[in-house]
Amino acid sequence: MSERDAPTARLMAGAIKSEPWRYGANVVIWASIWLMPVIPALIVRAFFDSLELETGANAITFVAAILAYGLGRLAVMVTGMHNDVHFEFRNASQLRRNMLERIYEMPAAQAVQGSPGEMISRFREDVDHTQETISWTVDMVGATLFATVAVWILAGIDAGLTVAVFAPLVIIVVVAERLGGRIKRYRQDAQEATGRITEAVGEMFGAVQSIKVAGAEHSMVGNLRGLNDRRRRAMVRDKVLTAGLESVFWNTVSVGTGLILLIGASSLAADNGLTIGEFALFVYFLGFVTDAGYFVGIFIARFKQATVSYTRMVKLLRGGPAMRLVEKVDLELTGPEPQVPVAPRRASDRLERLEVRGLSYQYPRSDNGISDVDLTLERGSFTVVTGRIGAGKTTLLRAMLGLVSTDEGEILWNGAVIDDPAQWMVPPHAAYTPQVPSLFSMSLRDNLRLGRDDTDEEIHTAIMSAALERDLADMPDGLDTMVGPRGMRLSGGQVQRTAAARMLLRRPELLVFDDLSSALDVETEQTLWRRLLEEQKGATALVVSHRQPALQRADQVIMMEGGRIVAQGTYAELLETSAAFTTLWAGNGA
Amino acid sequence: MIPVRSYVRILSKYLRPLRGRVILLSVVALAAIGLQLAGPQLIRGFLDGATSGRPTSELIPLAVWFIAIAVLQQAAKVWATYLSVDVGWSATNDLRADLAEHVLHLDMGFHKTHTPGALIERIDGDVTSLSNFFSSFTIQVIGNLILIVGILVLLWVENVLVGLGVTVFVVLIFSAMVKVQTIAVPRWKAVRARSAELMGFIGEQLGGTEDIKANGGDRFMIARFTKILRLWLPEQVRGRHGFSMLWAMGITAYITGLTVVFWLGSLLFGDGTMTLGSVYLVFHYVQMSQDPMEHIRSQMEDFQKAGAGIARVEDLLARSSAVRDEGNTLLPDGALDVTFDSVTFSYNDEEDDLGRPVLDSLEFKLPAGRVLGVLGRSGSGKSTLARLLTRLYDPQEGAIRLDGTALIDVPVEDLRHRVAMVTQDVQLFGASIRDNLTFFNHSVDDARLLEVIEELGLTPWLETLDAGLDSRLEASGSGLSAGQAQLLAFTRIFLRDPGLVILDEASSRLDPATEELIERAVGRLLKNRTGIIIAHRLATIERADDILILEDGHIVEAGDRIGLANDPDSRLSHLLTTGLEEVLA
Repeated sequence: MSERDAPTARLMAGAIKSEPWRYGANVVIWASIWLMPVIPALIVRAFFDSLELETGANAITFVAAILAYGLGRLAVMVTGMHNDVHFEFRNASQLRRNMLERIYEMPAAQAVQGSPGEMISRFREDVDHTQETISWTVDMVGATLFATVAVWILAGIDAGLTVAVFAPLVIIVVVAERLGGRIKRYRQDAQEATGRITEAVGEMFGAVQSIKVAGAEHSMVGNLRGLNDRRRRAMVRDKVLTAGLESVFWNTVSVGTGLILLIGASSLAADNGLTIGEFALFVYFLGFVTDAGYFVGIFIARFKQATVSYTRMVKLLRGGPAMRLVEKVDLELTGPEPQVPVAPRRASDRLERLEVRGLSYQYPRSDNGISDVDLTLERGSFTVVTGRIGAGKTTLLRAMLGLVSTDEGEILWNGAVIDDPAQWMVPPHAAYTPQVPSLFSMSLRDNLRLGRDDTDEEIHTAIMSAALERDLADMPDGLDTMVGPRGMRLSGGQVQRTAAARMLLRRPELLVFDDLSSALDVETEQTLWRRLLEEQKGATALVVSHRQPALQRADQVIMMEGGRIVAQGTYAELLETSAAFTTLWAGNGA
Repeated sequence: MIPVRSYVRILSKYLRPLRGRVILLSVVALAAIGLQLAGPQLIRGFLDGATSGRPTSELIPLAVWFIAIAVLQQAAKVWATYLSVDVGWSATNDLRADLAEHVLHLDMGFHKTHTPGALIERIDGDVTSLSNFFSSFTIQVIGNLILIVGILVLLWVENVLVGLGVTVFVVLIFSAMVKVQTIAVPRWKAVRARSAELMGFIGEQLGGTEDIKANGGDRFMIARFTKILRLWLPEQVRGRHGFSMLWAMGITAYITGLTVVFWLGSLLFGDGTMTLGSVYLVFHYVQMSQDPMEHIRSQMEDFQKAGAGIARVEDLLARSSAVRDEGNTLLPDGALDVTFDSVTFSYNDEEDDLGRPVLDSLEFKLPAGRVLGVLGRSGSGKSTLARLLTRLYDPQEGAIRLDGTALIDVPVEDLRHRVAMVTQDVQLFGASIRDNLTFFNHSVDDARLLEVIEELGLTPWLETLDAGLDSRLEASGSGLSAGQAQLLAFTRIFLRDPGLVILDEASSRLDPATEELIERAVGRLLKNRTGIIIAHRLATIERADDILILEDGHIVEAGDRIGLANDPDSRLSHLLTTGLEEVLA
């Protein structure tokens, strides 16, 4: 499948629409910043004319004029910078926010594809690149305006010379346009090379313990050196092409100056021809107009590079409309701190029965998945899903929770079909503890609450139920202890029980555990199930496990194989009736 | 503080091997500058000639020369750019690799408090800003500085008063620029630190989407995102104002330059000291010095970024690992015996020591070739035991000995070669199976790899893959079952020849059938080696000769497994009874 380019112009227009006033102000201010050099150019001409033609004008007049100009320029520039930083920041933040929102919108287990490092470069480099391009549209306006004014003034002095000198400027735009495609490709190569490095560095530090234990620091860095070298080559190509392009533009100035000298030679020598002041004006404007032309060319090239970045960001939306990237959103940068709404629990939220009918999901490019699963969970029941690795246990949980978008089948809540499981199967209806849970770099309390307003008392109850109280007692700052990647290190079991407490705190109708007990010792696991079943009365539990404490407590055991349910019943029943179940469990223990 | 000293200190080490190219770069860049300085001299000759009525035929060659020199100068400039970018990236690539290796060697305490996302920013982001800085610094800053000096010299030659006037103005402007920069750099540092925080946050979000979504935490995470933005915006504004100050310096320079030209021009032309062409020459040179100043000014942003970056690179390089590598006693071949000699360890040694020790005066001996099963609740210190043995951390008190040699006396490389550990989470890379197994060490040949894969029973699996050893794995381990991941981790160990093997909860997340395959592999792995198996499950320690039960960092029971199992009062037999249902199933 060929990849379509993102609609860069529409996206940029969309971004501008979100901040129309700041953008408008930017246009006015930056156009002035571009136009202002006309003033000193005219002052300089007047100065040289006063010397050559001995008009007797005083040097003080010129000095005063230029100082006044300087003060004006300073004021305009500082205002422009201030406005621009606010504009850019809001636009960049909006892009990041929209991508983040989209990630939360998608079925969570499918939302993130590609390595973390590569994904982060969407949020970092790609946002910066496109932002810069939008900021530059303002300079485009300024550059065009300036060029127009300059050509108009010069044509008034010597129309023929103006045409002869400025015609080559057309070359600039054409060359920039021509080389644009190549620049885009080179830039893309360089970005890809960078992506590979961030990816490698990210993975390297994600696996730092394994690397250390294997004493493989040196060979890992050897790999990084190879990637570094690839990027260097890509970067050199990119930068040299850009420099070459720049050089073409500068040559236009120098050659242009030479042309003025050549063509204007007789006129300059003549008494009533070109004055030195006018010559100075020509050369002066030539520089600025070329700057402007150069800018237009570079902008065209930059615009193409922005397309690369936009395309990558649109890809991150995975099917979401491209314009979603620039949708106007209240960033809440001012005013009271944003509050997180907690949905109230209604009587209709109460779960009586959950049914799953014909649920199927296949992972793309893989044989794994589930097919045609039927399942019923009654209120207050305890269901254990068991089976080999790859039998589809986790996939079943994900499909029921809307963490993957299922291919077929339906889920019924008290007999009514759930339209959007991803939106419905969240607290207070359901909550989930994944097999390898993630905690975040913040306090234990914030990790448990995730924005809810539970009291410490409620938190302690959840911690008790999750058998985490002894671990909490050992934490230096209690509930304020920083956990997560940048906080206190927790063992695998502690992370799992913290995640369980996080889930229990929500008092969901349906508790979903994926192999909660895998990092727990027998005693802790038994404590946990006992407390859970005693204290979360009325809650319905769906659990992946292949361990006795869970299996024996189960009201029903679901045995899966190859993505299908192959046996169903109580533990005792399955031991008698299911050969697959008996075989699986014969290998365990004795 | 002027950070130029830091740049030089760090970069000179990496530029030394590139000396030849640096010299060529200097020559080419200087040639470009010389050509650039020659241009205005030709114009002056032209203008004076034109105003004094020389024939057009004498003026035309001057104009042609002017054009030729301009073209040559641009060619030299492109060449210089090529050299500077190439040298810049070569040098910083080495720095980046060294920095990465240095950080890899830092202790786990460091890594637990620095996310991979933040380290990407520091190792790639900061060093890249340094490399941009180098290429632009050599060409834009140094090259332009030389150009300015050249202009000043020519102006002094032209007229002492003009030379003096323009020099005073250049010196004043430059010292002001340096001053302004010291205000701006700390501001940029704050902006970049916040950017790293935001990227760290986003990295965690990307890794935890399921946890967030399924527990209704997405709005909360958006609120946190907003909170970081709210802190970031004022810093961005301050940073940008720092940049405005630099630009303001450029404007001031320009205005002052013109003032000098107007004043000296009317003075010296008025008394006949200078021709009109010479006044134009002065004007042109002063104009010409604007561009370099603007360039230097615009590079100030890179300069600032790199300044902020280099401070953090230095900070990173200055950190030393809490685990010192100063030993020089090599471990003997074969199985190793293990002695814990009153070992006390706590993770919070840097803070005010609120945490109680994770291991408290731990004392035991494991003879060579025997297998020890370690039991205990989560948090009892079992995993810590393994981390100390591989020197991911060092104990605060006491010593651990292998074959009588204290761990700190063994070179870390040798130790990690002889002590192998498999943890529950197998960490993989987005790379080929071969590179995943060898950690990108290309000296391991395929025959040896295939032999080990065969030995562990992974050959049937490998045969299902199209590209064999070249098949790509994902860092997330997707497409790989937990059991296969475990077996890959065993393969990594088999490629070495350790004398002590530590399995930390190695078989906990597997279904029983896969576990069988693993158990066989473990049997092979422990043959003729000392083994420590840390487990939550009784089944896992069936093969242990000795048992050690830990509670809150203390040994509560230790001894021969069979003996303890047969003693009805032992904790082990109590555990066996509680967990009996599991054993009997």
